[in-house]
Amino acid sequence: MNVFIKASVQPAQVQEPSLDDETKSERPWIVIVWNDPINLMSYVTFVFQKLFGYSLEKATELMLDVHNKGRAVVASGSRERAEFDVYRLHEHGLWATMEHESL
Amino acid sequence: MKSKNGPIVRTKSGTFKVDLPDDHRKILTNLIEELRTSLTNSNDDAALRRLFPTAYHNDPKKDAEYQRLMRDELLESRLAAIDTAIKVLTQENEITAEEIDAFSRSINSLRLVIGTALDIAESDYEKQNNSQHDGESNEDSSDGASDDDDGQSVQKELYEYLGWLLEWTVSAQSSGL
Repeated sequence: MNVFIKASVQPAQVQEPSLDDETKSERPWIVIVWNDPINLMSYVTFVFQKLFGYSLEKATELMLDVHNKGRAVVASGSRERAEFDVYRLHEHGLWATMEHESL
Repeated sequence: MKSKNGPIVRTKSGTFKVDLPDDHRKILTNLIEELRTSLTNSNDDAALRRLFPTAYHNDPKKDAEYQRLMRDELLESRLAAIDTAIKVLTQENEITAEEIDAFSRSINSLRLVIGTALDIAESDYEKQNNSQHDGESNEDSSDGASDDDDGQSVQKELYEYLGWLLEWTVSAQSSGL
């Protein structure tokens, strides 16, 4: 028996309108966690607490934002820092991506 | 009834006890081994791709670069967690915080892959989250599933079981925060 069959949808890749590179690089990067129907709410809250040191209240608030609004910004900083956070969130099975903070 | 402590307990000294019957350990070990095989065979199955998400959702070029640098590292990390999870399941000693962490990540990986294969949708999410902590009922849900496709009902049962187990794992880990 193979229990690992079938397809699913990933957050679509959308081309961002291109901005001047210099303007872009001054802005911090934000790490976004997207809603997905599989990860348990308690697990997501726990991962936010563990990875970012958030209190239970803060982690729960972020988890509920992800669940109700579809996404939440969970961290921000340099590109390297954001990549590191995205990597750790991926390690934990969360749907995380990063982008430049909007002006 | 299960013991009131559930299958995963944090001890006073900060280690963890895993109290699972042998047949559960065996099933979990087989599933995790199966996941390892799929991962190492560089299987490009859509459900497995769920374990390697996009990092730059609006910049395919940067994402390709990120994946080139990080995908193998993520794979190695998943395989290392799987090794630890197998170790946890094949012995009865108390385990460390690092070991329970690797165990819970592996259980979650399995659940993600099976859930993706089942095409779990948002409507199932509420149901699943509302019924988590009375997890005992999840294990006896095989009756009445005969109208389901057999493979699917097995997957569904596994999915629910993994959710139940993960819920207890998170609860034991959270008690140490």
